[in-house]
Amino acid sequence: MKNRPLFLLGLFLAVLTSWAGFVLGSHGQLGSLTPFFDEADGQSHPARLPGLAARGQLVYADLGCVACHTQQVRRPGFGNDQARGWGERQSVARDYIFHAQPQLGASRLGPDLMNLAGRNPQAASADDLHRLLYTGSAAHPAFPFLYETREIAGESSRHAVRLTGTTAPKAGSEVVATERAQTLVAYLLNVNTGFEFPEARPLPAKSAASPEATK
Amino acid sequence: MSHPPSQAPAAEVSPFDAPARWPLALLAGSALGWLVLSSLLALVTAIQLHTPSFLADCSALTHGRAQAARETAFLYGWAGNAGVGLGLWILGRLGGNPLRALNWAVVGTVFWNLGLLAGMVGIATGSMTGFAGLQVPRALQPVLVAAFCAMALPGVLAWAGRKREGTYAAQWYAAAALFLLPWFWTATQAVLLWSPLRGVVQTVAASWHTQSLVSLWLMPLALAAAYFIVPKQTGKLLPGYESAPLAFWTLIVAGGWTFGRHLIGGPFPAWIPTMAVVAQCLLLFHFLVVALNFRQLFAGGSLTLQYLRFGLVAFLLTGLLETITSFRGAAVHTQFTLLVPAREQLALQGALSMFLFGGLVYQFPRIFGRDWTLPTFVSGHHSLYMLGVVISVLSLSWAGLAQDALLNHSQTPFAEILAQLKTPLLLHTAGQFALLAGNLLLLFAFLRSAAASCCREEGAVALRPASSAS
Amino acid sequence: MSASQRPDPSQDRSPLSDDALQAGHEQIIGKQPDEKGRYRLLPLNLLFLFSGLIFVGGTYLGRFSGHFHPKVFNEYGQPPKAGAVAAVAVDPLVLGKNVYVQVCAACHQPTGLGLPPAFPPLAGSEWVSGSEERLIRIVLHGLQGPIKVMGVEYIGAMPAAGPGSGYNLSPEKVAAVLTYIRKEWGGVEAPVAAGKVAEVRGKEGNRQPWTAAELEKIP
Repeated sequence: MKNRPLFLLGLFLAVLTSWAGFVLGSHGQLGSLTPFFDEADGQSHPARLPGLAARGQLVYADLGCVACHTQQVRRPGFGNDQARGWGERQSVARDYIFHAQPQLGASRLGPDLMNLAGRNPQAASADDLHRLLYTGSAAHPAFPFLYETREIAGESSRHAVRLTGTTAPKAGSEVVATERAQTLVAYLLNVNTGFEFPEARPLPAKSAASPEATK
Repeated sequence: MSHPPSQAPAAEVSPFDAPARWPLALLAGSALGWLVLSSLLALVTAIQLHTPSFLADCSALTHGRAQAARETAFLYGWAGNAGVGLGLWILGRLGGNPLRALNWAVVGTVFWNLGLLAGMVGIATGSMTGFAGLQVPRALQPVLVAAFCAMALPGVLAWAGRKREGTYAAQWYAAAALFLLPWFWTATQAVLLWSPLRGVVQTVAASWHTQSLVSLWLMPLALAAAYFIVPKQTGKLLPGYESAPLAFWTLIVAGGWTFGRHLIGGPFPAWIPTMAVVAQCLLLFHFLVVALNFRQLFAGGSLTLQYLRFGLVAFLLTGLLETITSFRGAAVHTQFTLLVPAREQLALQGALSMFLFGGLVYQFPRIFGRDWTLPTFVSGHHSLYMLGVVISVLSLSWAGLAQDALLNHSQTPFAEILAQLKTPLLLHTAGQFALLAGNLLLLFAFLRSAAASCCREEGAVALRPASSAS
Repeated sequence: MSASQRPDPSQDRSPLSDDALQAGHEQIIGKQPDEKGRYRLLPLNLLFLFSGLIFVGGTYLGRFSGHFHPKVFNEYGQPPKAGAVAAVAVDPLVLGKNVYVQVCAACHQPTGLGLPPAFPPLAGSEWVSGSEERLIRIVLHGLQGPIKVMGVEYIGAMPAAGPGSGYNLSPEKVAAVLTYIRKEWGGVEAPVAAGKVAEVRGKEGNRQPWTAAELEKIP
């Protein structure tokens, strides 16, 4: 490697090829995915996150929830995501086109968070989520800084968290979800892979390992 | 002060080392400081794994933020500073000239560290970017790139202005690492932070960046240190060296392609994980050649060689495990479990850090002209670190295997999964504790030795330049 | 060297100087300072290994890349054939129900019981369970004047709902809603085909709303 500029050029081209191929290539393929218009219900999927939920995504990102949770459902042969009721089909690229920053995740210390609101048999509710976020559990940290404990002035707040037992605040006080908590819960309840896109259909089970697998 | 370069004496104290002493010491010292910080954060996150309520009230140390801070401190603070320090030193030595533009390096280092500190504050207060391996708040990233360019300048000048026509493997790796980082980091910032791409392409770009950070920046700096130190310590030329150029280019070309193995089974077109498997197979050649080149390490030797030997074994093991787990059949079991951090620990703590430690332990006496004043601390660090890495990796692997059985093959609720993982996670915490203790020892030894050198310059007992090459 | 012994500084004394290090290694890869760069051949076995790895990689890529198609998410999958309509199969009953709720339920009621004396019921109606031809024509072009349903006379004006009308339902949607009401209230399992609706429309063209008498002439 005598030639100095040639060496540097070689390095540059190698990395340029890698970046262009993977990043720009994926962008070329996936960057202009459009939503799918469903004739049956006259809506296009995926739907954009409602404003509150879109802000909740920022809270999710800055708390780093992605360190323990994923938001991708894998296909039937790959783990038992669907058996656990996390989703009815695998997630595909089109599910994330309206996410400002997809939080796909790489670790499942906690469950997958796609389709929380649509889970069978236990759909998560806003109340349950607020309770979990405030008190934590044996397997989940608490985020008390997302909540405010304050005196009940007049009537109790619309965003008060219903708590009982030892976690409940003292009489005359209530625990109220701050705006960050509200948006976070809205986000968690709105993230879903509701619609079955053509590319999300699993391969026919028998031919999963055969070369003639068709879509 | 500069020495006439006409006759580089055959000595371990090169005349080019003394002028570069304080800039390189600044880099090494900052690296060790960041190392201790990242070990502390690693201990915090390890405790939070089995006791989620640990420090839950503190919003700055909530698990996600603590992980981001730990990773930033480790990759950019510890490995970045140490790697650059070693890279500059090696390029200077092999270039045959005193390092130039060292003021740039000092300014760069100062801004790099200040930028990272500001970044840590930003992460703790909620401005992290949300991309793993790129968590520093986005306004600070261009500052860090500029600081890095300043830090790397002496190295690139030393390589470009070298006296010999040909180059040695350590120079290829070090020059490549110093040259490539600003380019791919800027490209990543452009597509993720300044003008984000749409949807899952962001995850592809972020994953590509993290992989390139390790394969194209940090590992090459560590390998440069190894390539420099091994022949000098063993006194023999490297066996199998004729394959080293091809292995180097294989790493440069295919190193950034392997990120896709984390994306298997996800909402990504199948060609991305498949390319990763192909690249991982190609990289086996690189691992094999490195093993061939460094096979004298298996015989052990001085403390430096012992560090490098552990690093080599961990490096080879990492290569093997990464290749096996990139195939779908194995990825089904390992993906999203604790086996991934286990492998990461092996690669970053076991291989990368040990190579860098070997480099720092070797570098220090040469740039200061005196030996470590607390060599027992250094040996203690070595033992504690080996212990810590072995315990951490094994316990995380145990936890990961148990987690795979519970997560992927049964409907066990998550609370129960974590209850069953408590024992290996406690062991993992113990391992992290050992690592923190070892790192504190090394930091203390470094500061003590540097202070001793600084304060007793005239009366320092210098290593005698060897009069012959034996 | 044991960890407890103080490392002997002299052991770090390097037998290889920087110059000797570089010169020695350059000789191995066959480069002399004054010669043009010339690489010695790699040992044959390593060369074979490298080629073998490329071959394995290439084979794997050929088999599992999904032809680099963006819609292949399963590495065992094949890209969709060009021209194949990868439309989502719409369940006519779901579509029909939605159309019924949006278009028809205002008059015929969500229960299908209608609202005497203006809107005849669909539940149990002989018109619904009877001839497909008549039913399609009613929806496509509407109905005017008296009509006897289950023995009761209704006088109403049903607007046209097919293509070109105010509701502008496509033949698929007309077929879907008819399938739905026939299954739900007519007890007829067989779906109405969109092709049949299109055929009837083609035959009749645009026309005024039907009367009951005209419809009874159609089999």
